[in-house]
Amino acid sequence: MRLGFLVDLSRCMGCMACAVSCKAENDVPLHSWRLRVKYIDQGEYPDTKRHFVPLRCNHCDNAPCERICPVSALHYLPNGIVNVDHDRCIGCASCMMACPYNAIYIDPLTNSADKCTYCAHRIEVGLMPACVVACPTHANIFGDLDDPESEISKYLREHRDVMVRKPELNTKPKHFYVRGSTVALDPLASERPEGFTLFTEVKFLDHIGGH
Amino acid sequence: MLGAEVTFDVALPKVVWGWLVSTNMWAKSIATGSFLLGLYFIKKYPEQDNFFRKWLPIVGLIFIGITLLVTVLDLHHMFRFWKIFAFAHFTSAVTLGAWVVSGFVVILLLAFWSWVSGNKKLLDKIMVPGFILAFFSTIYTAGIMGQATAREVWVFPAEMISMLLSATLAGSAAYLLIDAIYGNVLKENIRRELGYILFGSAGLMAAMFIGELIFAKMHSEFAHEVIKVLAFGEVAPFFWGGMFLAFIVPMVLVGIANEQRKYQYAFLGALSAIAGLWLIKHAWLIAPQTLPLS
Repeated sequence: MRLGFLVDLSRCMGCMACAVSCKAENDVPLHSWRLRVKYIDQGEYPDTKRHFVPLRCNHCDNAPCERICPVSALHYLPNGIVNVDHDRCIGCASCMMACPYNAIYIDPLTNSADKCTYCAHRIEVGLMPACVVACPTHANIFGDLDDPESEISKYLREHRDVMVRKPELNTKPKHFYVRGSTVALDPLASERPEGFTLFTEVKFLDHIGGH
Repeated sequence: MLGAEVTFDVALPKVVWGWLVSTNMWAKSIATGSFLLGLYFIKKYPEQDNFFRKWLPIVGLIFIGITLLVTVLDLHHMFRFWKIFAFAHFTSAVTLGAWVVSGFVVILLLAFWSWVSGNKKLLDKIMVPGFILAFFSTIYTAGIMGQATAREVWVFPAEMISMLLSATLAGSAAYLLIDAIYGNVLKENIRRELGYILFGSAGLMAAMFIGELIFAKMHSEFAHEVIKVLAFGEVAPFFWGGMFLAFIVPMVLVGIANEQRKYQYAFLGALSAIAGLWLIKHAWLIAPQTLPLS
């Protein structure tokens, strides 16, 4: 079994239900995110477009975070999920330096690394991840990549525009996007000016974890 | 359609590894560089080996101590440091580094005991394992940087050479400083050779950084953006300050010292190299962290 995620970006309407349900399900503290939705505005009036991009851990088959973790706090589960052992973590932040997707954070309350686990605790009892359940448009498609009859496998077969983030790094992500674009998935393809924007203040954190 | 701009996002972490990690790399360069060069000079100039048999363990222990201190201080769970030995994950360069540096500390303690007890044979016996451990202590950080897949500008083989040159630069500078402080106790030919090592290391390192400035854009878009930050962005004062102090000033001053036999210039050049090395290490560490990864 290799569990994977697929986001149909044409269905995503940026409602943040996935992000909120993830926070609630996993008690993610303030200023930390396992799943976030980024808005990118492209073009100049009247020729404009807004991209909504849900971003979470890619649970790579060749995960740099798992490789660099000195104590195996980040480890693979038999179903392909890259999981975190909070009690094992020494807080070196090597995983944050290695992850090309910015998916890992140091929890300011526990000072351990944390990230999306595809809601491993829910999957264990036969439930879907919280973000999948909360999504009103079924943009999040989750399932077993090894099962040819799973919805995600069929979706991958039926769509020719499947993308992953940063394929050139050979991390082999198990998180796919359809109907995406370079602007949506490449962070260097859009400007990220700091300061107040249409919705919120875009900025970087001054500190990580409880340091 | 024209350009794109992020209009809604959470606050992202920026600098994950800061000045403590820069200090780690800087202090480790001094510790391992003084050890590696110390062994070289002991073997080459046995008639004046007492100087190196004394200062090799002292400089090594002080600066490897600083390295270990800042490493532990940088952990978000500093009291779980022991887990790196109890639950070692050997695919990680961090783990390999912890084990190798621990072995290097043992070698330095034995070298110190060798000097205190006057038992020269003890240091002679541990020279080969000491060389191996010092060598790998120097380069394991390059392995960590290479494994930091997100920061595409840190490429393993180039980082390894850069780390080795940092060590020879810092080690030769450290010995030149000690020699000057103690009133030029070294023979002139040894002092001149230290100067040449410092000069050569500085020149090669400068060439590597200039090469990155010119050619990194061929490597990846991320590397190209990093170079812009390095040369013109928020870390530019550290980078250019480091280039000037670590490479240009030492090459000029040590060149004058060796050519005109005015060795007070070598002292200033060595001091400048040590200070500049921290600046350039810091700039190189921080620059890739200023770009968004997602």
